[in-house]
Amino acid sequence: MAALLEIDGIYTTYDKADVLHGISLAVEAGTITCLLGSNGAGKTTLVRSILGLTPARAGRIIFNGIDITRLATHKIIAAGIACIPEGRKVFPKFTAEENLRVGAYQDASETIIRGRIAEIFRIFPRLAERRGQLAGTMSGGEQAMVSIGRGLMCAPKLLLIDEPSLGLSPRLVQENFNIIRQINDRGISILLVEQNVRQTLAISTRGYVLAKGRVVAAGTAAELRGQQQVREAYFG
Amino acid sequence: MIVELLAQYVMNGLMLGMMYALVAVGFTLFFGVLDVIQFSHGDVLTVGAFTALAAFVGLHTLGLGSRWLDLVVIVLAATLAMALLGMVIARYFIMPLRAAPALNTLLITLMLGTVLREAVRLFYPEGANPKPFPALLPRDAVALGAFNLRLDNVLMLAAGAGVIVGLQFVLSRTRLGLAIRAVAQDEETARTMGINFTAIVLITFAIGSAMAAFAGVMNGLYYNEINFGIGLYLGVVGFSAAIIGGLGSVYGAILGGFLFAGLQTVGAVLLPFASAYKDVFAFAVVIAIMAWRPTGLIREKISERV
Repeated sequence: MAALLEIDGIYTTYDKADVLHGISLAVEAGTITCLLGSNGAGKTTLVRSILGLTPARAGRIIFNGIDITRLATHKIIAAGIACIPEGRKVFPKFTAEENLRVGAYQDASETIIRGRIAEIFRIFPRLAERRGQLAGTMSGGEQAMVSIGRGLMCAPKLLLIDEPSLGLSPRLVQENFNIIRQINDRGISILLVEQNVRQTLAISTRGYVLAKGRVVAAGTAAELRGQQQVREAYFG
Repeated sequence: MIVELLAQYVMNGLMLGMMYALVAVGFTLFFGVLDVIQFSHGDVLTVGAFTALAAFVGLHTLGLGSRWLDLVVIVLAATLAMALLGMVIARYFIMPLRAAPALNTLLITLMLGTVLREAVRLFYPEGANPKPFPALLPRDAVALGAFNLRLDNVLMLAAGAGVIVGLQFVLSRTRLGLAIRAVAQDEETARTMGINFTAIVLITFAIGSAMAAFAGVMNGLYYNEINFGIGLYLGVVGFSAAIIGGLGSVYGAILGGFLFAGLQTVGAVLLPFASAYKDVFAFAVVIAIMAWRPTGLIREKISERV
């Protein structure tokens, strides 16, 4: 069976220098696949390449049977990918509810949008209380909820989550991982980008380790837990 | 006598304020989605007014035309043509320069404005001279004491208010408005939400430029004369209005437009030599406001968190 997302030898360039050097990886449908690596390893660039924000200059990205390598970002989203970006990136001048609405921008049906908002409010009751509050005035934890909820609003097949624990307290980090697992239980495949190795591998099926724009280790979560390269990718 | 004169000033101030606000909103919308100042915006207004005039002449050459048909046709011709021109400017002159320094965009829009203005002057028949603009609105007046409230002014104010309310409705209540506001806050995240960035920028330029054309037609109907320089002046005033209101804020732009007209009116009433120094006065106050509140009157309530 072909994987939901298949990345085949992509090279991506920033300022005329390659940041990704022939990266290949796959996300199987229904799984959580993680992408580990230290700062500057190319994790966020890989996410940006998948989303078409910084398109790959060579190689192919196949999603759900479609070649999305050079598609415009809005078409990639239409194909069924959503993203919870690094740093949450809520729209500060939108209310919590408007942030959720913009997440479902490509679904025009008001009934569907309302149903999904109600569902997000069941997962995060706190957002229901604060639906009218401007996201820019919310706490970091609340913004994380808005960002996660917004990512779910378009009912994606694949969710890219970029460094969700960045800047959150240990308690919230744990909560976040629980929520990611819940999202996966709903049948949404996840590509999780993280630096937090232990907790990430605990919920992942498979993982890849990136260093200097290359995949230096790959395997099941159990295999990666014991591997030397994983540690080296961070400390070496 | 005094009341009559005062009422006259207020009416004139409201008319000017409406035109300024319509122009200022364009500046603020464009700045919102692309972070650029479109310095040819005023000249788009001029081209819009001349498009309206050409449409009127065309109708009458064909022997068609009645007052209301004329009005509908000239407004549609001007707004649709300028919506298109605005999109062309955004697509082919501003968007390609996104990676370049902001100064380049400033230069190219300034030069484009000169090209539009000179094109009107050189290519419109006798474009160098002021052209009479038809008075298409009914000129009946209602006498309120000593003050004559003219129907054409009331209609223009109502139409302008309708345009502004319509814009507010689109921005705050529709899916398109949500997308425009999302792009204005964070282009990249907006794209990640599945918003077609280029399409939203073009639509925003179409809306803003159509509003400038509307202001241009209003200007013609109000003064019954247009010339190739009206946009230069209205552009500078509209830009100042957008700045004092707080660039990026639609409410601020509207407030700024009426405030500027108010200052001119106050200047005309209170200063000696009547209206000769009203612009000097108004712009001096604008400079003072900028010194007092460099980010404009409508302040950003939210500082972005990382």
